[in-house]
Amino acid sequence: MLIKIVNALLAVLGGVAGAVVLFYLLNKFAEILPSRWEERLKPYLFLLPAFAAIALYLIYPTIQTLVYSFANAASTQFVGFKNYSDLLTSSAFQNTLFNTLLWIIVVPAGTIVLGLMIASLADRLRPSGEKFAKTLIFLPLAIGAVGAGAIWKFIYAANPPTQHQIGLLNGIVTGFGGNPVNWLQLSSGRLNSFLLMVMLLWAQAGFAMVLLSAAIKGVPTDTLEAARLDGASEGAIFFRIVIPQIRTTLVTVFITVLIGVLKTFDIVYVMTNGNFNTNVVAVDFYNQLFTNSNAGYAAAIVVMLMIVIIPVMVYQVRQFRAEEVAR
Amino acid sequence: MRIRPTVKAAAVLGAAAALTAGCLSSGGGGGSSNTGNTITMMYGFTGNQSDDFQAVVKPWAQKNNITINFAPTADFNNLINTKVAANQLPDIAIFPQPGIMRTISATGKLADLSSVLTMSDLQSNMLPGALKAGQNDSGTQYAVLVSANVKNGVYFPKKAATAAGLTQGPQTMDQLQQLTNTIAGTGRTPWCFGIEAAAATGWPATDWVEDLMVINNGSDVYNQWVQHKIPFNDPRVLSVLNQLDQLVLANGHVNGGRNAVASNNFGTAGNPMFDNPPGCFMYRQGNFLTQAGFFPKAVLSDLDNTVGVFPMPGKTAESKPVLGGGDLAGLFSANNDSAKKVLQYLTSSEFQTAMAKKASWYLAPRKDVPLDSYPSKTSQNFAQIQNQATEWVFDGSDQMPGAVGSGSFWKEMTAWISGQEDAKTALDKIEASWPK
Amino acid sequence: MTSSGTVATPVDVGEETPYVGAKAGRGRKHDPGAKSPVWVRIVLAIICLLWIIPTFGLAVTSFRNQDAATNSGWWTSLSPSHITQFTLQNYGDIFQKASMGEAFVNSLAISVPATIIPILIAAFAAYAFTFMSFPGRDILLILIVALLVVPTQVALVPLLKIYGQLGISGTFLAIWLAHIGFGMSLAVYLIRNYMATLPKEVIESAKIDGASHFQTFWRLIVPMSTPALASFAIFQFLWVWNDLLNALIFIGPGPNQPLTVALVSLLGQQGQGWQLLTAGGLFTMILPIIVFLSLQRYFVRGLTAGSVKG
Repeated sequence: MLIKIVNALLAVLGGVAGAVVLFYLLNKFAEILPSRWEERLKPYLFLLPAFAAIALYLIYPTIQTLVYSFANAASTQFVGFKNYSDLLTSSAFQNTLFNTLLWIIVVPAGTIVLGLMIASLADRLRPSGEKFAKTLIFLPLAIGAVGAGAIWKFIYAANPPTQHQIGLLNGIVTGFGGNPVNWLQLSSGRLNSFLLMVMLLWAQAGFAMVLLSAAIKGVPTDTLEAARLDGASEGAIFFRIVIPQIRTTLVTVFITVLIGVLKTFDIVYVMTNGNFNTNVVAVDFYNQLFTNSNAGYAAAIVVMLMIVIIPVMVYQVRQFRAEEVAR
Repeated sequence: MRIRPTVKAAAVLGAAAALTAGCLSSGGGGGSSNTGNTITMMYGFTGNQSDDFQAVVKPWAQKNNITINFAPTADFNNLINTKVAANQLPDIAIFPQPGIMRTISATGKLADLSSVLTMSDLQSNMLPGALKAGQNDSGTQYAVLVSANVKNGVYFPKKAATAAGLTQGPQTMDQLQQLTNTIAGTGRTPWCFGIEAAAATGWPATDWVEDLMVINNGSDVYNQWVQHKIPFNDPRVLSVLNQLDQLVLANGHVNGGRNAVASNNFGTAGNPMFDNPPGCFMYRQGNFLTQAGFFPKAVLSDLDNTVGVFPMPGKTAESKPVLGGGDLAGLFSANNDSAKKVLQYLTSSEFQTAMAKKASWYLAPRKDVPLDSYPSKTSQNFAQIQNQATEWVFDGSDQMPGAVGSGSFWKEMTAWISGQEDAKTALDKIEASWPK
Repeated sequence: MTSSGTVATPVDVGEETPYVGAKAGRGRKHDPGAKSPVWVRIVLAIICLLWIIPTFGLAVTSFRNQDAATNSGWWTSLSPSHITQFTLQNYGDIFQKASMGEAFVNSLAISVPATIIPILIAAFAAYAFTFMSFPGRDILLILIVALLVVPTQVALVPLLKIYGQLGISGTFLAIWLAHIGFGMSLAVYLIRNYMATLPKEVIESAKIDGASHFQTFWRLIVPMSTPALASFAIFQFLWVWNDLLNALIFIGPGPNQPLTVALVSLLGQQGQGWQLLTAGGLFTMILPIIVFLSLQRYFVRGLTAGSVKG
């Protein structure tokens, strides 16, 4: 126990110190060079450690995965597009893809709408009230998906009708004389997937709220005053002036949440493990890889996930370029 | 510049960190190269079972100057694969399923136990067929059963059952079906059933199917089915699902109705038996259900008087097949004397008798553990069911490849029971998922 | 140095005030002291209630005994007659049976280095991107932006193999490096965005004073970028602390397991009853909530810079 604490402390100190030394040496190295080369080389030396990390942890694995996705379960033999065609023709995987798509569409948009609503409401409170409300709503962000899973079990749990309910929703339903509902099994209309998404909305709305609230406060007063003088309604002001003004923040929030959604593993894994038609790619990937020991399918799944993300990537880059020009 | 002293300090710290990194990596332990007396043991039972297990093993290890890092995980199957992939092996693994053990034995990382253990002792003192569960297809002993379960026990509430005239278990499947119909006929619910088990949801359903398979078709057909010598979606399997449908899932036969089964936790699904009036009269589950954490406390404190058990009957009164299961210990560190010693201990009657005394859920796979070591009538009862078996088969899903045994079989049974698929589709999908 | 006055200011700008245009925006619609409409307060009160109820239910359950927790809803225990079912047993159990205490230390030992180490590395890269010009700068930056959306799952298998060869899987080192690598693109992106909003004149004047890049970085840019560094730190800390997937794969259960892994192993094939999970869950949340509450203003400031431009 003690040794772990000491180790962690040393790791922090050593890691930071090591990084300092590294950069110092890199800098020194650049300074030894003739000054023409020094200026040329220095930026790359400053970038080197960061890019080394990115290359090892993102770029190399991405390429490797691409290769594995064309190989068999044990990655010993190439099988062409077989993994892809197997997956895409299996109805289970089609369902999984569809669910993932739903998550991608619903959660970022839902988070923004919720965050925007709460932000503009809280903006009208007194500062102390605003702070309190925001803190409360922001709090779930600090709770991980495993904790969230534990929390929401007590919302969605269903016991047979003859027993007392321990899930709040069914407590309410039976309190009104209804029969308990197996919420997480309601796969028609993907209701159960939506119920799982609610958990993510609950966790992320605070994040959106805080950023959007800051952006709304940043809209210049004179613009708003001018619009008011022209007789524009509050609604018109909100949609025609505030929203366009905070567009960049909206995009930032959207993309940040989207990244979170793509990583959605824990919530589904903890709540249903993909049963009842709630599977998403990250969970499927984990199960293919570790339950089914099929590295080929697993890699193909991730590659398809990346393909889904390419439009977002392109948009992100474009957006980024536009911002840079504006700056 | 303030930077220079910083650099010196940094260099010293950097060196210190590099040195401790060495300690850190050895903290992970395990691996086939470990020869020290600190060993890692990974296993798949958690909670009270893990507590009881450690309570027995720790004092012994201390006496023998061995330090054991216990690594329990409910997600054993997935994680042992990551450990094998990363070559970061525990010294000893206790496999909850022989299937996964056999897959891993093919990598050559598991030690052949025939030179580690006294095989003749095990052969003469273990349950018939139990040693086989730890062998691969060519008969090499890679693991040995260290705890056994009886999975075909049917629990019933003694008082309520006596009042309803049920004192003795049915002798044949026909009688069981009749009994079910009689109870349902009086407007009461005969069965409780729950298959929710977090990431492992569905496994209790697979036990039911396997049990009915061996009851109806005998151990030969059962084993062929498990080894995929006959297809998974054989008509005999379909008829088993239909039988389960009639017996348990039919309208009015199960507490909460069929739709409640998939979200009802298997551990507490049987508890309505003890309500007044009882929510159901029968709950079929393994012997481990009597450990703390499942039945209500009041029931556990008076187990022998409140809970009765009968074995699932055979097709005829003479046949008494037992669907068993258990955990198998295997050795990764073939050259580690401490690990070998632990393995010898786990397979000894000394350990198994101590476990039987300590833990109500434990059943010894050795027959030389005296019956009176078991603390309650209920566990003695289970030990007897096990020892009187006319046929003893190992849990089938545990022996199938992981993709089926802890993948599609669980998932498809869940989908079938919760009404998302019909029986035939479910079986076809499992057959299709069998690795080629 | 002439600019030292400027250096301090960005750090102590008040609570939740956005970096750009804040003063102009505040109170534009309403006088801050004025009462807000009743319906606004009611709607917000309802939202707050909805947000807190799930966590509250967990908190209540964590103090109930096992029979009570599995047999009746947590809300039924709120009447005074049920006082007897409350117990501290669950908390005792999680430390004894699930070794949550040890897992807590492990979580700290994993999270702190994995949070702090990448900051410096990323800050240097961000500095180069912001204040140095070199061929390929835009391409490299765009690569970072693009990699933001690559799911980290791609890395799991290749990394497991590399770690296996190096023999470091299951150690803290393995997961530190993983989190450093996975967090790097976000770190560079966030910190660079913030640095881009810093006044260029400061750098110019430092250059004229003869300071090297290395000195400028340490003495000017790092102090001025505190909000961005802090906001990334919070982000990364929450992410690492709450991470399950990487922890399962690179560490797994055993003596080095962090809280998330210990927590899921409370739920199992042999299901243990939920009351332990609730206590464990609540215990897991305490530290991130404290970290978050005490640092939230930096969080907002660091993240909004660069995006809140209007």
